[in-house]
Parts: sequence; C-alpha cells; structure tokens
Amino acid sequence: MLRLRGLLIQHHFLSNCSARTASSVACREYDVIVVGGGHAGTEAAAAATRIGAETLLITQKIETIGALSCNPSLGGVGKGQLVKEVDALDGLMGRAGDYAGVHFSILNRRKGPAVWGPRAQLDRGRYKEFIQLELLNMPRLTVIEGSVEGLLVSTADPEQPGKHTVTGVRLADGGNEILSSSVILTTGTFLSGSLFMGKTTSPGGRMGEPPSCSGLTHSLREILGLKLGRLKTGTPPRIVKETVDFSLAHLHLPDLRPTPFSFINTHTHCKPEEQIPCHLTYTTPGVDRVVRESLHMNSHIQQDTKGPRYCPSIESRVLRFPGRQHQVWLEPEGLNSDLLYPQGLSMTMPLEMQLRLIREIPALQRADIHTPGYGVQYDFVCPTQLFPWLQLKSIQGLFLAGQINGTTGYEEAAAQGLWAGINAGRTALSMPPLSLSRTESYIGVLIDDLVGHGVTEPYRMFTSRAEFRTSLRPDNADLRLTPKGFEEIGCVSSPRYLEAVRVRQGLSEALSALKSITMSPSRWKEKLRDACISETKSTLISGEEMLQYKDVSFDMVASAFPEILSPYLEFSERIKIEAVYRPHCEKQQREMERMREEESLSLCPDIDYFSLPVSLSDEVREILDRVRPSTLGAAMRLQGVTPAAIVHLLNYVTRTGRRSRAQRDADRQTKTPDCKHRPQTDQQAESNQNQEAGIVVQN
Amino acid sequence: MMFACCRRNTFLITHKRLRLGFRCASSASSTAEPADTIFALSSGQGRCGVAVVRVTGPAAGGALRRVAGLSCGLPAPRTALLRSIVHPQSKEVLDRGLVLWFPGPHSFTGEDIAEFHIHGGPAVISGVLQALGSLPGLRPAEAGEFTRRAFHAGKLDLTEVEGLGDLIHAETQAQRRQALRQMAGDLGHLYNGWSEQLKRCLAHVEAFIDFSEGDLIEDGVLNQVDIAVPQLQMEIEKHLCDERRGERLRSGVQVVIAGSTNAGKSSLFNILCQRPAAIVSPIAGTTRDIVETSLDIGGFPVLLSDTAGLRDTGDCVEREGVRRARQMVGLADLTLVLVDSMQLPQEPQMVSGFLSEYLKNVLPSAKDHEQGYVLILNKSDLLPKEHISMIQNVLTQTSDMAPVSILSCHSREGLDDFLTLLQDRLKTLCGDPLAGSPSLTQTRHRAHLQKCVDALNQYYEYRDTDLALAAEGLRLGLSSLGRITGKVGAEDILDVIFRDFCIGK
Repeated sequence: MLRLRGLLIQHHFLSNCSARTASSVACREYDVIVVGGGHAGTEAAAAATRIGAETLLITQKIETIGALSCNPSLGGVGKGQLVKEVDALDGLMGRAGDYAGVHFSILNRRKGPAVWGPRAQLDRGRYKEFIQLELLNMPRLTVIEGSVEGLLVSTADPEQPGKHTVTGVRLADGGNEILSSSVILTTGTFLSGSLFMGKTTSPGGRMGEPPSCSGLTHSLREILGLKLGRLKTGTPPRIVKETVDFSLAHLHLPDLRPTPFSFINTHTHCKPEEQIPCHLTYTTPGVDRVVRESLHMNSHIQQDTKGPRYCPSIESRVLRFPGRQHQVWLEPEGLNSDLLYPQGLSMTMPLEMQLRLIREIPALQRADIHTPGYGVQYDFVCPTQLFPWLQLKSIQGLFLAGQINGTTGYEEAAAQGLWAGINAGRTALSMPPLSLSRTESYIGVLIDDLVGHGVTEPYRMFTSRAEFRTSLRPDNADLRLTPKGFEEIGCVSSPRYLEAVRVRQGLSEALSALKSITMSPSRWKEKLRDACISETKSTLISGEEMLQYKDVSFDMVASAFPEILSPYLEFSERIKIEAVYRPHCEKQQREMERMREEESLSLCPDIDYFSLPVSLSDEVREILDRVRPSTLGAAMRLQGVTPAAIVHLLNYVTRTGRRSRAQRDADRQTKTPDCKHRPQTDQQAESNQNQEAGIVVQN
Repeated sequence: MMFACCRRNTFLITHKRLRLGFRCASSASSTAEPADTIFALSSGQGRCGVAVVRVTGPAAGGALRRVAGLSCGLPAPRTALLRSIVHPQSKEVLDRGLVLWFPGPHSFTGEDIAEFHIHGGPAVISGVLQALGSLPGLRPAEAGEFTRRAFHAGKLDLTEVEGLGDLIHAETQAQRRQALRQMAGDLGHLYNGWSEQLKRCLAHVEAFIDFSEGDLIEDGVLNQVDIAVPQLQMEIEKHLCDERRGERLRSGVQVVIAGSTNAGKSSLFNILCQRPAAIVSPIAGTTRDIVETSLDIGGFPVLLSDTAGLRDTGDCVEREGVRRARQMVGLADLTLVLVDSMQLPQEPQMVSGFLSEYLKNVLPSAKDHEQGYVLILNKSDLLPKEHISMIQNVLTQTSDMAPVSILSCHSREGLDDFLTLLQDRLKTLCGDPLAGSPSLTQTRHRAHLQKCVDALNQYYEYRDTDLALAAEGLRLGLSSLGRITGKVGAEDILDVIFRDFCIGK
C-alpha cells in the first residue's frame, strides 16, 4: 500500500508523459508489440516488460485500459486459482484486485482448501486506476493510442518452423508502420465483432466503442490462412441503484476478514468494515413470460453460434430450464457507483422488453435501466493452431492471448496474456520459449486444453478440469510458481522471490518440526484436551499426522509445544493444509512425474506426419497432422491415437533426439548457436532443485 | 508374429530376445507407473503343455517367495527349481511347476523377474494369476507393458524396437477383442451401468464444488450421492465375491462362419459339430440368430459360431441377425468366409476380383490384416471338375489372397484338406499368446474393480471434512472402472453437469 501511495503522487506527471501520439513512435522498433489493453493485453505487456523486453502497448483508448467490461468481480472457484497463479508469477491482476475489491469472500469455504475460490466484488474505477498506474509507470513500456490495421509479415526463417514471420504492425490513419519481431494480439471480442440488441445489429466489440480490427481479421484469415470460428456472449443491463427495493432481496455479506489475492499483500486496500454487501433475488414466472413474448424480436438468441453453457443469457436459461426460479445477484459496481450489475440477467431483447423483464422481479419492480444489456458475436482463432507457448505454429513471432483464443473470463485472459507476454519477450530476446505443465498449474491446464483440444464453446476454467486438483491449490501457487518464475523465467521481482523462499523455508521447517514430535494417542489426548482423537491406534502419531484430524489446528499443537512451533504461527493455516494434503499429493507424485516425462519429449512442430517413416495408420496420421501435438504427452491425450502409435512416436523421438543431440554437440564444436525454438520444460532440473532445498511443495 | 511364435520355445529360458514375454490389457493405453510390479501370462492357450507366467518389478522376488513357498531365500539366478505353487491366502496348492529367478538388471526388462512354468490347463493358469493378483503391489500388465519396460531399460536392439509398435498393436487388438467378448452380455451391462452411476455421482459432486455457491445447487445433491456410492460399492463387492462361481469364461479360439445367405454356412457348422446343431434348409435367411458351440478341433479349444447370411433385408428380425453376425465377425479370431461356388463369375479371370469384393463385404475392415480368415468355396460338387482346376490355377497366381479351400458340404469332397488347413490355423492361433487369455482379462477386471471399491472408501472418509479429497476418491474409482469400460474425461463430466443443472453464474 505504501508503494501505491507513492505512485499516486506521480500519477499526473506520468500519465501526461505517456500520452504519446502514434506518430512519435512510428519509426521506432520494439522487442514486443502488444495489441489490445484488456486483461490479456495488460498482463502481456507487463510480463514482457518484466523479463526485460522493450515493449509497446497499442490500445484504442488509454482511458479504457484495465476496464472491466462485464461483471465487476474477480476470482471465484477455479478462476481464483488462476488469479493466484498470475500473482505468483508477479502479474498485475491479484494486486489490482486487492486494491479495487470492495467485497471479499472465499467461496467453498466448507469444501476443502483445494477448491476454495477466492473472490471479490470490485470497484471498476479503482481497478482501472491501479492497472493504468502500474502500466503507465513501467520502465521499458510505452503505451500509445491507435488502431492496428494489419500485420507486417515476411517470409519465414527457414531454420524455424512456420510459414511466415511477423515483422511488425501497420496502424490505421496514415498507415504508420512499427517494427517488432514479436507481436501479441489480444483483441478480445473485437475481431469481426457485432453487437446485438433486439433485432438490430451493429459492428463492434463493446458498446460505446468504435468497431475495429476489420483489417486484422482479413490479415489473419485471408493472408495468413488461419482457421477462425465464431462465438457469442452477452452482458446484462446496468440498473440504477436508487430505484431498487433492497428490502425485497436477501442480504449477502462479505467475509469479516478480507483475504487478499496477492501473496505479497497482508491486507486489502478496502478496510474490513468498509466492504459493501451484495443482494440475492430470484426470477418469477413473469420473467419466463417476457422471454417467450420477446423471442421473435431477439435475433441474438435465434442464432446458433455457440455461447457458453455455464454463463447463459436469461433467455437461454428460461428456454432450457423452464418453470424454475433462477438466481439473480445484485452486485455493486463500486464504492460510489450509482449502478448495480444484475448477475444472471444477461439479455439481448429490445430495450423496452428488458425493462419489462426486470420489473417482473419483486426487488426491481420500479427499477430503471441505465445501460441496456446486449449480445456480442465475435471471431476467434482456433487455438489448436498455437504452440503451448501461445505462438501461432504457422507464424513466427505472432502470439495470441485471451478471448481471441476462444476463452471467456478476465482470469483466463490474464493467465494467457501473462504467458504470451513472457514467451514473446523471450523470443524477442533470443531465449527459447517455455511451456507450463498441467502438473504444476491451472495456467498449464488451461493452455494445454486450448492447444490440445480446441474449443466448442467459450472456455472457462473449472476445478474439475485439473486432474491434479488436490496438488494445484490456491494456497500453494507461490511455492509452485514463484521460484520458477524467478530462477528460470525471470518474470518475478527479487523481493517477491525472497518472500516465497522465506515462506518455503518456514513451511518446510515447521513440517519437519511437526514430524519430529511423536507421541502415543493417549499422550496426545492429554496435551490436546479439546481434540477428539481415536485411541484405537496403538502406534505413535506425529504432529503432522495430528493435523490431519479435522478438529486439530496448528495453533492447538503449537500451544502444546510452544518452544518448537511458535516461530511458525504466521503460517498456521498453510501448515494445516499442507499436512492434510501431503499424503494425497505424494500418491499423485508418480503420476505427475510420468506426465512430465512424456511432456519433456517434444515433437518437432513441422513433422510431416503423412510421410513419417514409421508405421502409423492413416487415421492416426490425420489426427496428428490436424492437432500437431507439441509433446508426446499431448499426443497421448488425443482421442484415437493408439498405444502402438505412441510407441512408434516415442521410438522416433528418441532416435531423432539422439541424432539431434549429436548434431548439437557437433554444432557446439563449430561454435554455431543452439537451436532457438526448442521448447523447454526443464521439470527435471526444477524438481532436483526442489529436493535440494527440501521444499514441501507438491508441484 | 509368426516369426515370434515359432521361436518361442527357444526363448522361454534364455530370456534374451523375448519378443512375446508380455500380455496386455484392453484398449486403454498404459498409465501404469514404472515402479509397479506387474504380471502376465506369456504363453498361449489351448494345447500348451506348459504355460509361462511372468512377474516383473521390485516386488517380483517377494511374490516368488510367497507363491513358491521359498521361506529361506530366492533360488540361484537363472536356475530352474521344481516347487509347489501355493495360493498365498488360502494356502491351497494350485500346481507343481518350475520357478526361475532373473534378478535385475540382467533380465529382459532390466528389473527383477520371476517366472512360473506351470501346467497349461485353464483352471491352473487362472488360479495362479488370481493368486498373484491377490498379493499387495502386484497388478496385471497393461498393453505392451513388459516390452515397454524392456525398451525403457534399453534392452531391445534397434530391429526389435522397429517391430515393437506392430507387436503392441496386434496385442492391443487381440486384447480388445478378448475384453469385448468377456464383456458381451450381462457382464458388460453390469460394468457399464456402474460406470454410468459413478460418473453421475462424480458429476454431481463436481457441480457442487464448482457451481454451488453462485447457483441453485443445494446440499441435497450430495445426499443422492451419499446413497448411491455405498450402494454401488456394495454391488461391486458382492460381484467380486461370487464372480468365480458365476462367470463362465469364454475361452477358446473364436471361430465364426460368415458369408452371404444360402452359401451353406449352417451345413459347414453341422459338419464341424458332427451333429445337426443348426437348422439347414434351402431357404435363404434360415439362420437368424447366432448359433454357438464349444468344440475341440484337433485338440484345440474352439468357440464356433454360425451366423445369419449377410444381406440387406426388410425383415427386422433378420436385420438384427445380420447386425449380430457382423458384430461377431468383428470379435472373431478367425473367420471362415463361405462362398457359394454357383455365384462365382463364369470367367475364371474375374474370380479373384469377385472374391476380394466379397471379402470386403464380409470382413468389417478389409485393411485390417491381423483379422484372420479362411476363404471357402462351397458346393464344389455343382461345378465341373475342369472349371474347379481353372479357378485353382487363377487363385494360386493371385498372391495377396489367403488360402482358399474348395469343398462340398454335400458330398464332403475337399473336407479333409480344409480340416488340415483349419487345424494349422488353430495351432498358430493357440500358440500365439496374443490371441488373448480370458483368465487374464478376468484377473484384470477383478483388479480394477477392487481398486474402484477401495477408492470409494476415500469418499466417506472425507465426505464431511474435505469435499475435494472426497471427490478425489470418486475420480480414482471412476478411472479404475474406466480401465474396463472406457475412459471418462473432464468433458464427459461437464456434459452431465450441464445436462442436469442450470448453471447461470
């Protein structure tokens, strides 16, 4: 917080500075250009900058950088894990959430720490303020307003996979060109976006902003030959707060003690008592009626473009599950905002019908609409055309992140933005790209699902997508990612790293100390009178095992052994979680190692599967050619790829691997540089390091 | 494959170029951890005097000592020892046979290997496999696991590695057929039903985890799961207890007679059974359902099936018969493709073209070369002698045609030659360990079911304290069942969630 106040003072000075015109940067060359200033774009620009790349962010309006264009909230179940991971890699989102949050709660509190969902209602203004402040003050980062009309592309470097290579972008209005070897597109819903309300359709990606990117769509589809798809989403009308009768809705209070998202924040900007509540209300049969009556005036709902199954408009909810009460959350838009966001009432009917619909809900009987709800349809690039480091397979240096890859949600966008930013920066600085494994992070799960399977509906994170959910917990994201972020990736600042190391050390010592305390059940019972311990066990029980009992907290054990355990009281909750989950994570460990081993065997991206001199069926060749898995592990997860095909591939990989190693050795002797585009996972190295440091993480 | 089979005997003891020392699982790809100890039957079924069961992995030594009653230590490496093979729990003597000990790294897989040479009867084999399966830390091998371990240990030379994929492919196919056969009927119904139930339970718990707080999913969802899980667990446990009595193993080489209507399939069937088991009439479409019998042909166990003639028909009963016939052919180890000689083209040059079209129609995938078949031209008594020899000449010149038998079920002419050919094929199939062992399939199923039951315990253990860990139990249980009935992925679970709940947040 201190640091923020310091920055606030400089705000005016610096934001003036950043208001550079497009012409002043036109002749410059950057390491990385980021197109778009949403959640993906801002994390991408910040990450590229953190690893040392000279970066340019191009956005239509600086004023909308960091805007929350849909719901005023962050995190939740599954999404909260992503926020924690972005934060663990020193991204912006977690800290911005801590600054802007006005209502913090941990969802699933009763269901086990692995699936806790840290969540907050946000103040839109504050969120934007924080993000803009950070970005506009970042060294090595330039922000300009402009609209990108096309990509500059030249023939590919024959040494690398891909058909083209990107060399920069061309701006609209005068056609200025800016050069860069790495470009990240984070255009959200603006790729051939159209807005829908009632029977009217207009081009655009967000209400109130000019349409853009028509030239980009053309570049991607026609010139670069990428496969695009179309998806739809929507947003509810915003309601004037003072016209709502809250006495007819259920009050929903935040957690008494707000828990910050960020591992480096000890408290949130908003004081506990300053938090503001949400309200919950329900739809009525009248809502069903209005939906039905307005169907013929609603072209968005009639389209068969795929929308999300889990965040459907009120129209599709009523049509799929008629005659039910549906929840409507009335969420504050900010501390001083006059508006409410009715979560669950996303709709695309004509404005007058929207008004009729909301007034069918008791608490909204006399409510007024400030801004109507609307639907958006937009193009996305089929993400199977990406490497796991989010670069397009066919275009060297061109990275994509966010909704353009078919995802939905701020957190999913930020996670991809961060990872694309890191890799675009690395590519520009001649470092090999990196991938994150499914075994170490939700970000890895997200990207692996996208590039491995593609999307059929807007992709959202759920904890059920992560097979190693009990190891990838929100509480240990820092242990899983921060050391790697500093030591291998270089995207983490040294204070954050040192803090993570300190925590790791503390947890590890605390758990060893707990293990060293062993007593019989009856002795434990004497020491901890409140705990119910079964005395049937005749063997000795360690302190760590004691923590596996539901009612035993670390504080209880520490009070029995203050001289050994009191130094670790600050980690109390984390120690309890580690102790409970450790046996399960150890069971998963072997399976995770196997997956990492398979993921460490990379398949060259430009293999011609149809002429590969190994025995594969035509069907398998077709699948492999279509999906082009980056690793043997990804290939194994494809449907239709047989165990026999995997053995053939494994055999091929090991043989060519041996050959290319020999080749590299020969190259080294002749002092030629190493192959640049070899994906690295380096899991092995990392796990070795972990072992040496005696870490307690199960990553 | 042929190469591997004829050299098998020389490899049993030397252990050097073991190309068939493994037996695999169904279609599921191996997800087993390298440090597990696995076992497999590595010899064929049927007229094998000696069957060989192999165990590889860290617990191989312990398994050898317990099953062979070697309390004072392991035998000298690579030396055969005559022992009684005893079930470790019931102490029942299963057989008397040779045991061998190959300590790693000087073994085929680079790990410790124990080998049991036992009598080849199905009861003995089944007993020994069950005994090994009952030891902690041991489980039946998955597809190609033995060879894969050898490969990882660098024990295969390059030419062997080249053949490895094909070998695993053939093995997977054979095992898939075997597993499907065991699963056909009630058993498959049972397993699939359990898998469906468990999938639904997991989906509901996952829905409760991922969506309950924002959506209208109440705790009541879990109450249903709380009732369903113990019920499921009880059913599986009950099944595991009485399985040995209740389940008839469908062992033997599966031979299916197939072809167009009125080719004489039922006549051939009756001849092979030496009794009128199937109704024979001149009316096309007489046989509608599968007629099946167990036979001993030249000492080899055979499950012989007669099927409905393959033709497009409007009769819905016959259509179902044709569907079953095609399904049967898909699961067969050997298909006897019967042709009515009267249907052959007059011009002998056109015969081979006609026959390959005919084969394409009868066999589900003409590309699938590992699907064994014998082509039989029936009703030779109705053709002039010189015409037959002309056809024979043409066919011997066509190289890619499998052996063709020309015979007459009516006059019994050519039947002896056909029986000799059939016995040869059966001998190959039985000697080939890839033909699939029902007792191993059964042992595998039992192992997976047991794992599922164990995993479900975790659900109760954590139901009230940590739902993530409770759900983990259901996930593990479902993945064990999935090894039998097919994998259930995250998307399948999400499909159930979105079908059963209105998720709106």
